[in-house]
Amino acid sequence: MQPFALTYARRPIPEPETSFAYDSEQQLNVLADGTPAVRHPKVLLEAGSTTSTAGSKTHFDD
Amino acid sequence: MTVLVLTGPEDVTADMVVDHLNTMGTPVLRVDPADFPERASLTAAFTSGGLSGRITTRHRSAELSAIRAIWVRRPGKPGAGARAQAAWVALESDHAWYGTLRALPDVRWMNHPDAHTAGRYKMRQLILAQSVGFRVPATLFTSVPGDAKGFAETHGPLVCKSVSGHAPDDPPLALPTTPVPEGTDFTAVAEAPTCLQSLVGKRSDIRLTVVGSEMFCARADQLARDQAELDWRYADPESVRWYAAPVPPDIRTKTEAFMRLAGLMYGAFDFAVTADETWHFLECNASGQFGFIELAAGLPISRAVADWLAGTADSP
Repeated sequence: MQPFALTYARRPIPEPETSFAYDSEQQLNVLADGTPAVRHPKVLLEAGSTTSTAGSKTHFDD
Repeated sequence: MTVLVLTGPEDVTADMVVDHLNTMGTPVLRVDPADFPERASLTAAFTSGGLSGRITTRHRSAELSAIRAIWVRRPGKPGAGARAQAAWVALESDHAWYGTLRALPDVRWMNHPDAHTAGRYKMRQLILAQSVGFRVPATLFTSVPGDAKGFAETHGPLVCKSVSGHAPDDPPLALPTTPVPEGTDFTAVAEAPTCLQSLVGKRSDIRLTVVGSEMFCARADQLARDQAELDWRYADPESVRWYAAPVPPDIRTKTEAFMRLAGLMYGAFDFAVTADETWHFLECNASGQFGFIELAAGLPISRAVADWLAGTADSP
């Protein structure tokens, strides 16, 4: 028998596809043209990478 | 001075703060402890002259004596990449890493690891919240089916949520806060501790983000979205409209007291607000996300975090 709480479990929200990658020299995620992703709020919102479930694969859902 | 940011590379919410610190001209060393010791190194020497040494990443290095603030954002575990004697190497790495950082004098932590760890425990949170005067829903942890049934009869209707706030990962699953139907069979409560809580008939959700002495309040109204989806984290993002809202004076006072008792410098509080405007405490997450709130409601949270870390903001 599975634990009670898992009666309400669902498939996880997939980690977002992003159009940026971490640049260890700048210590920031950057777009293909090298500009920091944080200068493009629309990109961040579309990627869902700042939402409460982003990173929940490795951290607490919050 | 240097601000040490502990988080993973994918964390663009941390980017928002690092970008502000860069603009302010404050030196930053960003490192994921999970990279230690493979891709980040630490040397800490204790001699008669005291503690000295440095942390080095691929492109940067910071002297331990220069570290004035540490932001424990979303760090991986030290030694996570070890292959031989993995558990032992991880333990050694943790003690070397956090043992050194904890020993640094005159460092401001957001948040200190002890406060962060203690703050994760839900029951402690609820008791703290009630002690400062928040309204808190009746909550049960149990592995006894009969006790769950009795709680449902006394305090229902109920919701079910994770005790730890962590979802299963083998295989990965999502575990939203979900209403428990009337007449539910609680037999499976014996399989794992279960958290049941009185359902708050809310009109709005509140995310109150606290940074030092500053508070940033965002509100989303339940009427704007699917009534069947209780947990806004899992609702259609298009239907959850966050907007900036004022913090009632009594809530501010209680929140300040909670932060003080919990030893937190940062906290993301969730409240459910009923039609009579009563705020019901649900939880405080010591590492709660804030980027989505900043972007949606226009609240300058990342700037406040940067100011706090740089020492240009007032401490509570």
